[in-house]
Amino acid sequence: MMDHRVVSDGGLFASASGFDVDVRLPWYRSLPLSVVEVVEVALDGHVIALENVTFELNGETLRPAELRPRTDDYWYVLDSALLHVAHAPVAQGSTHEVCVTIAVRPPYIQGLNRIVKTTKTLTAR
Amino acid sequence: MTTTNAKGLKLGTTLYSLTTQFHAREYSFEELVRKVAADGIGPGLEVVGFQSIRGFPKVSDEFAERFAALIEETGLVPSCLGINADLRIDPDRPMSEDESLAYHIGQLEAAARLGFPLVRYQYPAGPAVIERLAPTAEKLGVKLGLEVHAPHHANHPDILAYREMYERVGSPYLGFIPDFGATARAVPPSFFEAQADNGVPADLIELAKDYWARAGEPYERRDAYIADARGRGFADRHIMALVIIFGLFSRATPESWADIMPQVIHIHGKFFDFDDNGQEIAVDYERILPVFVAAGYDGFMSSEYEGHMWNDADGFDKIRRHHALCRGILDRIQP
Repeated sequence: MMDHRVVSDGGLFASASGFDVDVRLPWYRSLPLSVVEVVEVALDGHVIALENVTFELNGETLRPAELRPRTDDYWYVLDSALLHVAHAPVAQGSTHEVCVTIAVRPPYIQGLNRIVKTTKTLTAR
Repeated sequence: MTTTNAKGLKLGTTLYSLTTQFHAREYSFEELVRKVAADGIGPGLEVVGFQSIRGFPKVSDEFAERFAALIEETGLVPSCLGINADLRIDPDRPMSEDESLAYHIGQLEAAARLGFPLVRYQYPAGPAVIERLAPTAEKLGVKLGLEVHAPHHANHPDILAYREMYERVGSPYLGFIPDFGATARAVPPSFFEAQADNGVPADLIELAKDYWARAGEPYERRDAYIADARGRGFADRHIMALVIIFGLFSRATPESWADIMPQVIHIHGKFFDFDDNGQEIAVDYERILPVFVAAGYDGFMSSEYEGHMWNDADGFDKIRRHHALCRGILDRIQP
């Protein structure tokens, strides 16, 4: 079951420019980034504009809209990606409700867009 | 391991059954393989390339050497490599036939490199691409097995198109892999329990069960269920949470596998839940295994647990129960 796996346990980090979230691919196998979509990020119930979010994986940092052309770059199923969120400072040790929605279109199943949303209450590290 | 070289239906495991444990990083690939051997749920070992192998379909020298050493150490037998018909890597432009052929060849080469005798391929590949792939399969010595997965079954028009091509080409490298979800007798209770936990009303679940058990084409029954449920005023998100039962579990008769039997090269022993007597609730193994044994099937059946789609049950415990059930039946019917 993938519903609770998008946001990793212990996956909220305070950063110099806001906060980071450790996220996982909500599917059983690796997928090309072209079929992955960062749909929504929210902190304490406030949805964050996607222009304030970037996606880091395999040593590269991309804007959510830049995933679609990446047909040759794979998200290996065991790797975490890191969402960097530009935001007012989040204090280490403070507790927040983190909600991330990621959608995948498995490339062998025509028409399936699997939207998976995970909400967790996490203490920033 | 004494059954490895014996003729007949032999047991094994696909690591896909252990998706929960692998995705949660509780067990690495090597640890999964070693535990399959230690728990006696081999000897067949099936792997999904894009799940287990970083960089697939490329296989590094380092991985190939580690895999060979692991097989040597555990005594397991590579039975099947799961490959994918990823035609929509670019969601806006499906692959051409030539691109799909090249994509499948790469995965077939990976199977040969790792010592798998056959691959599981998926029906979106299409008979035309598979016909063009057959010479490569023969050259590499890797058989091509079409997974016959619900809502398909042995006599579904999409499968008949492959059967006609197989007949015309006549290659021993073209085969089928029955998936027992296509010949189910019930929807797994754990699926409905997970939906009930998510707030789906009990009377809506009863309605879906009723439509699933009726006569007729699955997708027509699905649409009739949706219309009926909407008419009764159920919430759309609850209605839609149940529609996958019409695609995941089909009700073709177990005996229908006999229609493709001479070309069956591997089996996905799909399973979910057991009753107090150790019987599988959705798939009637007492009825289904004799169909294969009576026909003289000689090959592996991977225990394929798929309840991980809706809960986090211990996959190893599930597979051990499945092996106990199947071994008991085989001891009676397979000398």
